[in-house]
Amino acid sequence: MRRLIPIALLLPLLVGCGNRNLILTVDILSFMDPATRSVDYGPIPPGFPNDTIEVFSDSLNLLQGVGDVTRVASASLDIAASFDNTSGAATGDVLIYFAAADSATPFTTTPVADVPFQLLPGQITNVSTHIDASPALAEVLTHDRALVGLRLIFNGTSFPIQGTETLTKLTATVVMKKDL
Amino acid sequence: MMKATSIAVLIALCGLQAGTAAGQALDARRLGMGGVLTSDVGDHAGSNIAFRAVPKGTGGSGSIPLPLGLIQYLSDHPSYDSKDSTFNIYEIANVILNPPLTIQLSKPSEVSGDISVYLAQDSLRVDLADVKRVIPKNSMMQGGVYHIGGIGKSFGKMFLQVGPLVHVKNALTLSDQLRDALRDAVPFTGNTRYGVTDEGRAQAAISFQAGYALRALHKASTQEGDSPDPRRNGSTALYLGAAPKYLLGIAYGDVHSTGGVTTGDTLFAGSNPVTLDMDTETRYAVVGGEGGTGTGFGSDVGAVLYYRNFELGVGLNDFGSQIKWSTTVRRHIYDNATNQFTTSVVARDEEFTSRIPVTTTVNVAKRIGRTTLAADIVDGELRTTMHAGAELWFGMFALRSGVYRDQNKMMQFAGGGGYRFGKIGVDLAIASNSRNIERERGAELSASLSLY
Repeated sequence: MRRLIPIALLLPLLVGCGNRNLILTVDILSFMDPATRSVDYGPIPPGFPNDTIEVFSDSLNLLQGVGDVTRVASASLDIAASFDNTSGAATGDVLIYFAAADSATPFTTTPVADVPFQLLPGQITNVSTHIDASPALAEVLTHDRALVGLRLIFNGTSFPIQGTETLTKLTATVVMKKDL
Repeated sequence: MMKATSIAVLIALCGLQAGTAAGQALDARRLGMGGVLTSDVGDHAGSNIAFRAVPKGTGGSGSIPLPLGLIQYLSDHPSYDSKDSTFNIYEIANVILNPPLTIQLSKPSEVSGDISVYLAQDSLRVDLADVKRVIPKNSMMQGGVYHIGGIGKSFGKMFLQVGPLVHVKNALTLSDQLRDALRDAVPFTGNTRYGVTDEGRAQAAISFQAGYALRALHKASTQEGDSPDPRRNGSTALYLGAAPKYLLGIAYGDVHSTGGVTTGDTLFAGSNPVTLDMDTETRYAVVGGEGGTGTGFGSDVGAVLYYRNFELGVGLNDFGSQIKWSTTVRRHIYDNATNQFTTSVVARDEEFTSRIPVTTTVNVAKRIGRTTLAADIVDGELRTTMHAGAELWFGMFALRSGVYRDQNKMMQFAGGGGYRFGKIGVDLAIASNSRNIERERGAELSASLSLY
C-alpha cells in the first residue's frame, strides 16, 4: 500500500495550488471480491420474524497520503442493491458500515447508510440511495485502508424467505480541500 | 513531513516552469519598440561587443527603470500563507516570472477549478481541469546564461571587466502516456509505463575579460561634419570588437534522470500494484570539495556595419567558451524489489569539459530622418526570439510601436511614447507578454527614464 498510487500523490499537491477542491470518486464495489458482492439468504423459516445476515466484511486499499495534505470538506455515498427473492416476503434494511482498518470489525460502528427494502415472492427488487455528509465515511476514506461491511435485516411476513442479494453499486465521493 | 514535502514539490513544480520568462524589459523605450535591440536602444546587456566602439548618438545611451509596479504589488499581492484560503502557488510563481516592477494591466485568468479523480480497481481518470493549462505540450525547458553584475574599466578602446557567469539548463519531459493522462484526462491503463525524464545542468564561473573594440573601416560622408554619429550621418563604417575571457570555474553539476511507474495487469490489485523505476547519473565538481575549481576560456566577439544610415550588427557572446573540470560521477538506481536506492561511484577525477552556450544577436536598423526602423533575432540555447519596432520623433515627443515573437513562440504587441527634457526623457510603454505559468497573453505598463 506504501506505493499504491505514486501518481495520485501528486493530486493533493495540485489541489494545494489554489483555492479549489479535489473531488475523489471511488468505485468501492470494484475493489471488493466479486464473490462478496452477492450472497444467498435464507431459507428463513417461520418462527424467525427478525433475522440479520452479515453479508461481508472486507478491507479496502485506499489512497495513501491524501489525508495528510487535505481535509475533507464533504463526503457522500451512492448505494444500490438487487434482491432476487424466490420465496417469502419481508421488509428490511440494508446497512452499510465503514470503520478504520485497525478495528476488529466494521459492525461495531454506526452504519453510514440504512436502505429500506420490501421483498415479495418471485420478484426482483432494486433499491438505491444517496447519502450525503457522512463524517465517518469521510474520515475513513482518506486513510490508506478501511474496513467495509454490509448487513441485511429481515422482518419476515411470509415464510420461508429465500433469495439472492447482489450489491450493484457502492460509490463514494469525497470532496477535499488542501491543507498544506 | 508530508506537508513539507508537498510544499517543496509544489515550489519545484512551479519554479521549474519559471524558465518561461525570458527577461522582463524594464526599458520602456525599448519595450515600446517591441523589445528590439540596436546600438542605441536596449543594449545594456552587451549583446554586441562592437557597440562599445560606436560613438554615442542622439538615440540615447541608457535608461533608468521606474518600478511603478511595486505600488500595485503592495496594494494587491498574492497570499504567501499556505493556510490561507486564497493561497495559490501559481499566483506566486507568476510573481517570480513577472517581478512586480511593471504595472500589470491584464493577467491570464487565475488557475482555478476543482480537480476530479475517478478511481476503481482497474480504472483511474484524473481531470485536472484548469491546472491542465500549466502542463506544456512539450518538454519544460528552463534556463539561460546569466552575466550577473561585475565591475569593469575602460582604457580608450580597451576595457577590462570581472564578473560572475552562471549557466543553468533544465529539461523536464513527461512521457506521452503521462502527459495525455494529466493534460487530456486520458484514463490510466494497465501494463503502461508513466515516465518522467529530466536533464539538468548548472555551472558557475568568474569571468576575467579583456576586450578591444575599434572602428576598422571608415568612409566619410558629406554630412559627417555635422554629426559624428554613423547611425545618422550617412557614412560607411565597420566596427569590430573582441573580448577573450578566462573562466575560473566555481561549481559544476549535471543530472540525467529517468523515472517512472509501470502499472500491472490491474491498476490497483495487490499490495504493490505498480513497479517503480528510477535511474539517475550525476556529475559534479565544486570549489572546496570534490573536483575543485575548473579552468577555461571563451570570448565575446561582434561586428557592426553602418552604410547610408543602415545598421547591421552581429554579436556572439560566450563564443567558444568552455571549462575543464575534474568531476565525480555517481549513479543512483532504485530497486523496486528491495525498495532501496543504491549509489555507486562511476568515476572520480574524470576530466570533463563543459560548454557555455553561445548567444547570437543579429540586428538591423534603418534611420530615416528622425525615424528609426529596427529588427533583431536573438538565438540562445533554449529559445530564439525576434523583435521588430519603430520610433518616430515629433519635436520632443516620440511615438513607438513594435511586435515580437516571444519565448513561447507567441506574437506579442507593444506601443508607447516618450518626452525628452534635454538630457533626460520620460518613456511609457504598453506591451503584451506571455511571461506567466499559464503561457497566456497578459499586458503590462512600463515606465523608465532615458539618458540622452
